[in-house]
Amino acid sequence: MTVSLIEAYPLGDSAITVRFGTQRSAELLARIHAAAAFLAGASIEAVEDVVPTYLSVTVFYDSLRRSYADISAEIVAACSNADSVAETTRAVRKHVIPVRYDGVDLHAVAELTKLSVEDVISRHTGRGYRVDILGFVPGFAYLSELDEALVLPRRAEPRPRVSAGSVAIAGVQTAVYPLATPGGWHIIGTTDTVMFDPNRPQPSLLRAGDTVRFERVT
Amino acid sequence: MIVVDRAPPYLTVQDDGRRRSRSVGVPRGGTMDSFALAAGNALVGNPLNAAVLEWGLGGGSLRFDSECTIALAGARASATLAGTTAAPLTTLHAAKGDELMVEHLDSGRFFYIAVSGGIDVPIVLHSRSTYLPGRFGGLEGRLLRHGDILRLREADGKGPSPGFHVPPELMPAYAAGVVHISPGPQADLFADDAWRTLMEEFRVSAASDRTGYRLDGPALSTSIGTLPSDAGCPGAIQIPGDGRPIALMADAPTVGGYPKIAVVSDADLPILAQREPGASVRFELTSIEQSQRASRKRASDIHTIRHLAESSRRRA
Repeated sequence: MTVSLIEAYPLGDSAITVRFGTQRSAELLARIHAAAAFLAGASIEAVEDVVPTYLSVTVFYDSLRRSYADISAEIVAACSNADSVAETTRAVRKHVIPVRYDGVDLHAVAELTKLSVEDVISRHTGRGYRVDILGFVPGFAYLSELDEALVLPRRAEPRPRVSAGSVAIAGVQTAVYPLATPGGWHIIGTTDTVMFDPNRPQPSLLRAGDTVRFERVT
Repeated sequence: MIVVDRAPPYLTVQDDGRRRSRSVGVPRGGTMDSFALAAGNALVGNPLNAAVLEWGLGGGSLRFDSECTIALAGARASATLAGTTAAPLTTLHAAKGDELMVEHLDSGRFFYIAVSGGIDVPIVLHSRSTYLPGRFGGLEGRLLRHGDILRLREADGKGPSPGFHVPPELMPAYAAGVVHISPGPQADLFADDAWRTLMEEFRVSAASDRTGYRLDGPALSTSIGTLPSDAGCPGAIQIPGDGRPIALMADAPTVGGYPKIAVVSDADLPILAQREPGASVRFELTSIEQSQRASRKRASDIHTIRHLAESSRRRA
């Protein structure tokens, strides 16, 4: 494994961003997910939250208890350490999400990709996806990587409201909208699976690094 | 209990927000003005993060259905309690049935009402804060409206004596509109001329809310565009492709792809939050060490306020 130089920067008074590389890749993301899992379990004093993204991990901390200079050395050391223990210790959670392929953009997607509707569906259900990052709204998971025949730019006109449970695609990614929000992705289906519920012990169904398959239901 | 007799256009329950759920996309949220939250609570003898009411955009009235201690903080309002002018940042006594009338907000954007005990709504993800986009927290995840009844938690002891007020030297310099920033994660991607532009005067745009404040003024020269998303935080100043800065605020998404040139010091975020549309903002660059020192100083000032408030009771 090539280990690039880890660099750390403050993100304001209460967070530190540790960057693992400069180019997005599946390998880099796997390292980042491993480091985030390691940091979250490391019981580092004053740490509140650990947020993995494409190139970096951001650790939020209580700056009244620890200064940047104090915590950064420990965080960077933990990230370097995570790189060496990563592969062996991490269990991947697997999810299957049932989908009705009845989305308002399904036929438009078939037209734009020059595929049949059946082909769009079988290509979407035909592979597993990895949860790259969460964000945008609570429980919104960016999943990759889509079959290249399904890759389309976002809609030119975002919709002011996309219903919760909408299954959508854009670029090389697919996602389920956890709650009704504005959205610019192509909606190809609907699921009854509750992606985010703030009142359950694990509010978000998906976490970074999990894998997901979509299963067709009627 | 508090009864909402006439709700302003914006009224929610807020505390110091959610600090354990960013990894699943939940913004920190909480009060826009953290000083108002802490000072208001100190004035009524509450824990500093007890839930308060965050009020915006106009007038309205509340009725206290039981005797309690209250304090008004944040934006300056023309307000009366039981018909008498209600002073800001002062411990006030409300008798059962007293009405708090707010005619309008005079300056600032977010007005706060702290009440002894704190507002009692269910804790969701470690916080009582209302997160409107997610429709959770606060009272049913929504704006408060006419007829809503808010329960109060039991107050711990008697609280400070009415009339105690926050010494002005312990307050943020709201009026000057000077906001300290430290370099952000993508600071080095911006050339010197972009940094010089950032130090010029900006005005808070009308397009500003709890998610973010757009800043009108000179555009920063940038050719960065969008990067792979990374984590943001309240106070992060992001620069989209058009070079026009957006300061992320309490409800901003946890991740985003615009480069973050700088981040507002925690101690000065209340100053930015209270700037009205059209009001000027000037940034001053500081180091992360100085910025963190300022936030520790702010925390110590809050403790001084709390200590002074408590000793006012002993003297009384």
